[in-house]
Amino acid sequence: MNLAQALFMGLLQGASELFPVSSLGHAVLVPSLLHWRFKQSDPSFVPFLVLLHLGTATALLILYRAQWVEITRGFFTAAIRGQMRNDSERLAMLLLVGTLPAAALGVFLESRIKSLFASPYEAAGLLVLNGLLMLSFEVLRRRRERGTSREEQESHFASAERISFRAAAIVGACQALAFLPGISRSGITIGGGLVAGLRHEEAARFSFLLATPVILGAGVVEVPQLFSSGVPVGEYVAGAVLSGIAAYASARFLLRYFRSGRLDPYGWYCIAAGLSGLALLHFSL
Amino acid sequence: MRSNTVAVGLGVLGIIFVIVAILYAIGGVLPTFTSSGVAGPHYKHAILFAVLAVASFVAANFARPKIA
Repeated sequence: MNLAQALFMGLLQGASELFPVSSLGHAVLVPSLLHWRFKQSDPSFVPFLVLLHLGTATALLILYRAQWVEITRGFFTAAIRGQMRNDSERLAMLLLVGTLPAAALGVFLESRIKSLFASPYEAAGLLVLNGLLMLSFEVLRRRRERGTSREEQESHFASAERISFRAAAIVGACQALAFLPGISRSGITIGGGLVAGLRHEEAARFSFLLATPVILGAGVVEVPQLFSSGVPVGEYVAGAVLSGIAAYASARFLLRYFRSGRLDPYGWYCIAAGLSGLALLHFSL
Repeated sequence: MRSNTVAVGLGVLGIIFVIVAILYAIGGVLPTFTSSGVAGPHYKHAILFAVLAVASFVAANFARPKIA
């Protein structure tokens, strides 16, 4: 992979990671459609993607730096005391409960997950499935909405700190599905948050907070393999920096968008992109 | 759900997770349920079980009945 390709992949990953459109699906599909020579089955490809994700995680840490200080403090305080007395402490425990299912499934299903990175066909097919899931989440949500204006509808739903622990565990388990290229981590967790009764903006915030520990954990275990595999590390790091910048801009945009926006446009995009990808791959265009 | 029984159970679970984490870190004892088999240390599994142990001990502390 040359510098231009690494930068393109960084921009693609960072821009698409937080949008509910599956950055992994795009990272597997787009190089195949562009007929790039590097192989997604190469042992250094997954660590490279994880390095790009570290750029995203860094952007999220910067965006939510004040909240992470409160969450970290709240975790230790509540863990030692054995009681939650404020929203930060409750949010810290919700994030712990939400992170464990994805971490466990990620470790035990690692080799099977990595084998899927070799198949752009499966990524395109899962992208279509992801689109259908986004539309389904919004259909389920609309059944619960009351009132007339969008602001009134949103006011009937809760903030991230009010989600139940059972719902946090289910959203966390759903997050594990996003190891499949084509299934969006942010999409599935935002959708899970909506079904659990969160406002769109709060579902996005919970999704972004939930992403950080999993991505950082994956980085700790995967990135050392990259530095020992003789790949052009400098170019890859440049891609990761660009990924972080794109992710920061995406997160700012999405938090504003979800004050009034919904998942539907991204659902339709995923269906269109997946079907187009399948057609292009099938006809070798 | 606060009771001494639940707290003790979660504490015991935490100790089991610590032992499993140590065995994975040493390697060659427990299967990984991946293609790599059982040989050698498996630090990812060890880290996971260490985190699960911490979560169990935290949950045990939450389940312990508090004196008002």
